[in-house]
Amino acid sequence: MEPKIQSKPDEELRIGVYVCHCGKNIAGSVDCADVAEYASKLPNVVLSKHNLYTCSDPGQETIKKDIKEHNLNRVVVASCTPRLHEPTFRRTCEEAGLNKYLFEMANIREHCSWVHLYEPEQATAKAKDLVHMAVARSALLEPQEETVVPVTRQTLVIGGGVAGIQAALDLADTGYKVYLVEKQPSIGGKMAQIDKTFPTMDCSICILAPKMSDVGKHPNIELLTNCEVTEVGGYIGNFQVKVQKNPRYITKDCTACGDCTKVCPVEVPNEFEVGLSGRKAIYMPFAQSVPARYIIDAKSCIGLGENTCAKCKEVCGPDAINFSDKAEEIELKVGTIIVATGLDVFDPVSLMEYGYLRFSNIITSLEFERLINAGGPTGGRLVRPSDMNVPKTVVFIQCVGSRSEKKGNPYCSNVCCMNTIKDALLIKEHWPDVKIYVFYIDIRAFGKGFEDLYRRAKEKGVIFIRGLPAEIIEDNKTKNLWLVGENTLEKKIYTVNAAMVILSVGLRPRDDSEKVQQLLRLSKTTDGFFMEAHPKLRPVDTPTGGVFLAGCAEGPKDIKDSVTQASAAAARAGILMAKGSVTVEALTPTMLSDKCMGCGLCARVCPYNAIIVDKEKKLATVIEAACAGCGTCGAECSFNAIQMRHFTDDQIFAQIDAATAKDADKKIIAFCCNWCSYAGADFAGVSRMQYPSSVRIIRTMCSGRISPKFVERAFARGAAAVLVAGCHLNDCHYIDANYQTKRRVEKLWKKMERLGLDKNRLQLAWISAAEGEKFASKIREMQRIVEGATKLEIEKTVQSLAQKKVNVVTEVAKA
Amino acid sequence: MAHKDSPKIGETKTEMLHPMHVPKDELQGNEQRPSLDKILEDLLDFEKLKYCNGCGICTGICPIAKILPEYYNPRILLHSLPLGDEKILKSPQLWLCAWCYRCYRRCPQKLNLPEIFQVVRRYAVESGYSEGFIKALEIISKNIPLPISCSYVCFHPERVIKNQQIVADAIQQAILTSSPEKSKEQPFAKSTKNVAIIGSGPAGMSAAHDLAKKGYSVTVFEALPSAGGMLRRCIPKYRLPKKLVDFDIMRIKDLGVEIKTSTPIDGTQKVKKLLEEGYDAIFVATGAQEDQNFTIQGAELNGVFHALDFLEKANTKNVELLNTVSIIGGGNVAIDSARTALKLGAKDVTILYRRSKEEIPASPWEIKEAKDKGIKIDFLVSPKKILGENGKVTKIECVKMELGEQDATGRRRPIPIQGSEFMMPTDSVIMAIGQSPNTVFLPKTVELTTQKTIVTDPFTLETSSPNIFAGGDAVLGTGTLIEAILAGKQAAFSIDHHLRGIPLDPVDIAENAFGRENNGT
Ligand SMILES: Cc1cc2nc3c(=O)[nH]c(=O)nc-3n(C[C@H](O)[C@H](O)[C@H](O)COP(=O)(O)OP(=O)(O)OC[C@H]3O[C@@H](n4cnc5c(N)ncnc54)[C@H](O)[C@@H]3O)c2cc1C
Ligand SMILES: Cc1cc2nc3c(=O)[nH]c(=O)nc-3n(C[C@H](O)[C@H](O)[C@H](O)COP(=O)(O)OP(=O)(O)OC[C@H]3O[C@@H](n4cnc5c(N)ncnc54)[C@H](O)[C@@H]3O)c2cc1C
Ligand code: SF4
Ligand code: SF4
Ligand code: SF4
Repeated sequence: MEPKIQSKPDEELRIGVYVCHCGKNIAGSVDCADVAEYASKLPNVVLSKHNLYTCSDPGQETIKKDIKEHNLNRVVVASCTPRLHEPTFRRTCEEAGLNKYLFEMANIREHCSWVHLYEPEQATAKAKDLVHMAVARSALLEPQEETVVPVTRQTLVIGGGVAGIQAALDLADTGYKVYLVEKQPSIGGKMAQIDKTFPTMDCSICILAPKMSDVGKHPNIELLTNCEVTEVGGYIGNFQVKVQKNPRYITKDCTACGDCTKVCPVEVPNEFEVGLSGRKAIYMPFAQSVPARYIIDAKSCIGLGENTCAKCKEVCGPDAINFSDKAEEIELKVGTIIVATGLDVFDPVSLMEYGYLRFSNIITSLEFERLINAGGPTGGRLVRPSDMNVPKTVVFIQCVGSRSEKKGNPYCSNVCCMNTIKDALLIKEHWPDVKIYVFYIDIRAFGKGFEDLYRRAKEKGVIFIRGLPAEIIEDNKTKNLWLVGENTLEKKIYTVNAAMVILSVGLRPRDDSEKVQQLLRLSKTTDGFFMEAHPKLRPVDTPTGGVFLAGCAEGPKDIKDSVTQASAAAARAGILMAKGSVTVEALTPTMLSDKCMGCGLCARVCPYNAIIVDKEKKLATVIEAACAGCGTCGAECSFNAIQMRHFTDDQIFAQIDAATAKDADKKIIAFCCNWCSYAGADFAGVSRMQYPSSVRIIRTMCSGRISPKFVERAFARGAAAVLVAGCHLNDCHYIDANYQTKRRVEKLWKKMERLGLDKNRLQLAWISAAEGEKFASKIREMQRIVEGATKLEIEKTVQSLAQKKVNVVTEVAKA
Repeated sequence: MAHKDSPKIGETKTEMLHPMHVPKDELQGNEQRPSLDKILEDLLDFEKLKYCNGCGICTGICPIAKILPEYYNPRILLHSLPLGDEKILKSPQLWLCAWCYRCYRRCPQKLNLPEIFQVVRRYAVESGYSEGFIKALEIISKNIPLPISCSYVCFHPERVIKNQQIVADAIQQAILTSSPEKSKEQPFAKSTKNVAIIGSGPAGMSAAHDLAKKGYSVTVFEALPSAGGMLRRCIPKYRLPKKLVDFDIMRIKDLGVEIKTSTPIDGTQKVKKLLEEGYDAIFVATGAQEDQNFTIQGAELNGVFHALDFLEKANTKNVELLNTVSIIGGGNVAIDSARTALKLGAKDVTILYRRSKEEIPASPWEIKEAKDKGIKIDFLVSPKKILGENGKVTKIECVKMELGEQDATGRRRPIPIQGSEFMMPTDSVIMAIGQSPNTVFLPKTVELTTQKTIVTDPFTLETSSPNIFAGGDAVLGTGTLIEAILAGKQAAFSIDHHLRGIPLDPVDIAENAFGRENNGT
C-alpha cells in the first residue's frame, strides 16, 4: 500500500529548531545558546532558537507563529524525552497546519543533561550531536495520515478484589458493559479476609459485602468467577479476549442450603481461613461469597472421574450438582481492560531466624485477621495455637519481608504498620490485660487519621520498641518465645518473653502476575509490581494503550487508595469509551511492490501474522488492522521492499550518519526500543544516574526493527561500539519480536568473528523500563570497550564493512 | 603474681615500645591518603550500602556487644561513621569487632560491618591514630579470658597493621600493663563450693576464669596432655603461635584454677563420680573433637585425611603431602586445611564445595585471603568417589550440583546434576565436612539432639540433668572462639547463681552484663 499523503516532492526543506532550557534542567549542564547556534548552521535549517520552556504556552505559540511566518515544513524540538512531550508538540504543529509526523524531537534532558550533570562540555557536544541527528532525520520525514478506529464500549476487569469491584461498578453505573473475571470462586479478594480496617476500624466484610452483591446483581456486569484470561489479541479499543471458564460442577440452581457439605467425606485446609481450619471438597468459599453458589474442588473431590462418591448429589434438593461440567472457552470483545489482580503476602518461612512453622506460636498478620474475626475458625477468640489459650503477652514484629535487601523485598509494604496498630487495638478492646509489644524500625503513620490511631494504641498501653529481634528462641516446655534484640533508642539489649508472636508480613506481587504481564505486554518496576505509564501524570495508565491499573497490582497500598485508584482507572477507561474512537499511530509498513520478490521472509517473522504473501504474484501485503507496527518485517526483508512508516531505513541511516559525523571512534551507537530500553535510559535520566557521554541513542518502536544493516552502517562509519537493546525476552511489547533481535545479533557476532573483528564491540542487552541502573552500568561497561578499541581495529572494521556496497548515502552523511 | 614465664611475643625485638606510641612512619603508607569522607563515599558506592535501617539486629546478635556492652555496639559504631568525626578514629570500638560475621549474615540490608570497620581501621592506622587499638587491647585483656589468643584469632589487628612486630609488641605491652596483679582489684570472697569443668578449650577456660574470680575452687579436666582445646590442637600455629596459648592458660592458672591434663572424663561412671566426689556443679565444655564421617568409596586409601587429624598433626609434626591437594568442605576448617597444605609445600590446592558462593559457611575474609594465596575454590561440586592405584589416591570422581529447595537450615539444598560427572586428578584428599561432639560419656539423663549436641536452656545453659551445665562447641556443634568464650562466661554467671540459690531470669542474663569483671559478687 502506498502512503496516503505524499509530501510535495520538490518542496524546499525548511527546518525550524527549538532548543529548550527547561529552566536549569537542561541549561544547567548544556549550553543551549551554543547548541542553537550550531543547529542554525545545519543543512536546511532556516531558523534556530533557544528558549526557557518550549512546552509552555508562549513556547508553543512561538512555534506556531514561526511555522506560519517562516513557512517551516519540519520542526525539531530539543528538550525532554519524546515519551513525555511528543504528543504536545505534535498537537502544536497540527494546530499550525503542519502534519504532525513532520515533527521530530531530540532528547537532550533525560539522555543528556541529567546524566552528564558534571560534564558541561561533553554534555553540550552530545546535545549538538543529538540535534544533528534529529535534524537529519527530520529532513526525511514524510507526512502521514492516522487511521481512526472505533472503540468497543465494553470493559474487561481482571481481578475481583475491592479494586476490581469498584472499577466494575463505576463503569457499569456509567452505562458500559463490564466483564469481571475472577480466578477464585468468589469475588472479594484480600479485603474479604480482613477483620476490621484501619484507620476507621470498620468491619471489613460489612462494608465490602454490599458492594459484592451489587456486582452480582448489576445488569451491566457479567461476573465470570472461577475464570482465567488465556489470550489477549488486538489493540486499544479493539481487544479480543479469550477466557477459560473452569468447571464449577454446580449449576445456577444451587440454593446455597449447604446440605451437601454435611455429607461430603473429604476435608482439606480452608484457603480462605489461611489453613487455620478445614473445609469440604464441596464448599462455599465464605459466608458472603458472590456468587452465593457452592463449588466442587476438583483436586480433592473423590466423586469426579472414575470414582463415584456422589454423596452430595444424593442429598442436593434442587439437583444442582453436575459432575460432568467441563471447562469452557469464552470469547469477549472489549475496548478497554483494567488490571486489578492484587497482591500476595510474604511467606516468612525463608526467614529461618523468625522460626515461622518451626515454633507453633508464631503466626502471620493475615492468619491473625482470621483468628480475631468473629466468622473465623475460633469465632473471634484470640488463642495461641499450642494450647488454645488466650496469650498473656503478644508481640508484633514489623517489616517481616519488607525493607530488606536480603530476604523479602526492599520496599516498604505500606499497610503493615497501620495494620499492626489496628490489630493491637483489637486485642486491647477485647482483652485489655494482654500485654502487647510492637518491635519496629519506623512507624509509618502517614495517612489521614493514621497518627490518631497510633496515639490511641499508645494510650491503651501498647508498648512500641524500636529495634527488631535478632533471635527468637522457643522455650521447649511452655512454648513461649524469647525475643532478644537491641532497643535502639535505649541502646540496650532486651529479652522479652511472649506467649505468641505475630509476624507483620509485607505485601508482594502475585506469583502468577507474570502471566498477566505477558498477556497484556505490561512492564514491571524493579519491585515486581506493574508499571504505570508515568508515575506522576499517568499513574493508572500502562504503556499498553487501553490497559489500566487499579489496586495492589500496581504497588502495595491500603483499601482507600485501592478504591481511589480503581475509580480513576474506571474514569480513564470511560473517557476512551465515551469518545468512541481512537487514532492509531501511522507506523505500519508499506510494501514496495516493485522490489518485493514474494519470498515470505517477512511473513515468517511477523509476530501478528499480519502479512499475507501471494506466491504467484510474488507480492506480500500487510493487513493493516492486524499490524502493530513493530517493524520486524522491515528488518528482515533483504530486498529493501518494506518501508516502515515514520521509521524508514533512510531516516535511521541519517541518524547514524549524523551521530558518526565527528569522532566516531569515541562513540557508542545505541539502538533502543521505545517501550523498554529507551524508557530505561529515560529512567536513568530521571534518576540522575551518571554515565559516560559517548553514547548516542536511536529509538525504534521495537528492537525487532533494528536491521543488521543499521549495525553494520554504524561500524562502517567508524563507531567504536554498538549497543542493541530491547525488552527482556518474553516481555516484548510485540509478542516475541525480540527473539528476532537476538537471532540477528548472534548472526552479526558470527560474521564479525569470521571477518576477524572484535565481536565484543557489538553488545546486546535486555533492559526494562525500570532498569535505569542497568542501562547506566551497561554504558559504563561499554565505555571500557570504547577505550580498548584501537584505531587499527576500527579501521579494519570500516574497511571490511565498507567493501559491501552501502546503498543509501544521505545528504546529511556528506554534510 | 609474677609472670616469670611471660613469653616475648615479638621474637626478634626485645625492647618495649611505649604503649601509647606506635611510630607513624611504620604505619603510614606513602601514597596520598584520601579523606575520610571519600572513603565513606567509596564504601557506600562499592558495598552498595543503600542504608542501615537501624533495626539493631547486628547489636542484638553480636557476641562482643554481649560481652562488652559498655564498650561496644556495632550499630552505633556504624552510625557514627558518616559524621566523619575523627574522634571515631581514636576510639577503641573500631578495634573490638571480632570478625564473627554474625551481623553480616543477619543484617536485612546485607551490610558487611566487619569489613566496613576494617576499611576505617586501615584509615585510622594510615592517619597515625593508634590509641584506639591500644585502648581496645587493654579492654580485651581486662575483660576477655584468653586475651592474646583472642587478639590473634578474633580481633585481627594484623589485618591492617602491616608491621607484625608492632602488633606483637603492642599486644604484649597492653597485657602486661593490665595483668591482674597490676590492676587494683577487690580480693574476692572465697566460696566453699567446687566446680568441675570438663574440657580446657576456650569455653571451659573462660568459665574457669570467671568462676575462680568469684571465689569458687575450680578443677578443669582435660583429655589431652596440654590445655587449650582447639586453640592448641587444630588452629594452625602460623595463625596462633602455641606459646601465646601457654601464656593465656597461665593467666587463668594464676587465679588458682587447677588443670588436670591427660585426664579424660570418658565414662558415665566418671561423671557420676565427680558429683559424688563433692563437685557441686559440672560444666561440660568438651567441644566438637571428631571429624564428621563421610561414607565415600575410597576413604580408606592412602592420602585421604580427616581435617582435624591433619591439622593436629601439622601443628606437632611434619605431614607429607604431595603436589595436588583437594579439600572437601566449605567451612573455616577447610580453609585452614587448604592454607596449611600450601604451607606444607603443596603446589595445587583446590577446595570443593557443594553449594554456591552464597551459602559457603567460611568467613568472607578467610576466603579472600585463601584466594589471594592461590587456593582455588570450586563451587557446586561434590565428590562421588575417591579412586586410587596401589592403595594410593589418584583422582576423585566429582559431580556438579545445582541448588534446589531450602532445607531445614534455610539454605538451598544442593542436588547432583545427572550426567555431569567428571574426574579430578589429585594426590591427597582432606575431608573437612564438619566436626561433631563426642557426648556418649554423659549420663542418659542429659538430653542430646539428633546431631549428638547437648540440649541446654538457652539462657542458663543448664542441661536436662541437675547440676550439669554445658556450652561451647559441644552445644553449638561448631561455633567460633568468641562464642565459646561467651558460653563460658554465661555458664559461670549461671552456675554462680545456681550455687547461691538465686533464681535466674533470662532477662538478667541478657541485661546483666556478665562480661564485666567482678560483677555483683
Ligand atoms: C494482613 C492484611 C491486613 C490488611 N489490613 C488493611 C486494613 O486494615 N485497611 C486497609 O485499608 N487495607 C488493609 N490491607 C490492604 C488491603 O488488603 C488491600 O489494599 C486490598 O485488598 C487491595 O485490593 P485489590 O483489589 O487491589 O487486591 P486483592 O484484594 O488482592 O484482590 C485481587 C483479586 O484478583 C484476583 N486475581 C488475581 N490474579 C488474577 C487473574 N490472573 N485472573 C483473575 N483474577 C485474578 C484474586 O483472586 C483476588 O480476588 C491489609 C492487607 C493485608 C495483607
Ligand atoms: C581448624 C580450626 C580453626 C578454627 N579457626 C577459628 C577462627 O579463626 N576463629 C574462631 O573464632 N574460631 C575458630 N575455630 C573454632 C573454635 O576454635 C572453636 O569454636 C572453639 O575452640 C570451641 O571451644 P570449646 O571450648 O567449646 O571446645 P574446644 O576448643 O574443642 O575444647 C574442648 C576441649 O575438651 C577436651 N575434651 C573433649 N572431650 C573430653 C573428655 N571426655 N574429657 C576431658 N576433656 C575432653 C578436648 O580435648 C578439648 O581440649 C576453629 C576451629 C578449628 C577446628
Ligand atoms: S512484523 Fe511488525 S510491522 Fe511488520 S507487519 Fe508484522 S506487526 Fe507489522
Ligand atoms: S543489622 Fe544492618 S540494618 Fe540493622 S542496624 Fe545493623 S547494620 Fe543497620
Ligand atoms: S562481625 Fe561479629 S563481632 Fe563484629 S560487629 Fe558483627 S557481630 Fe559483632
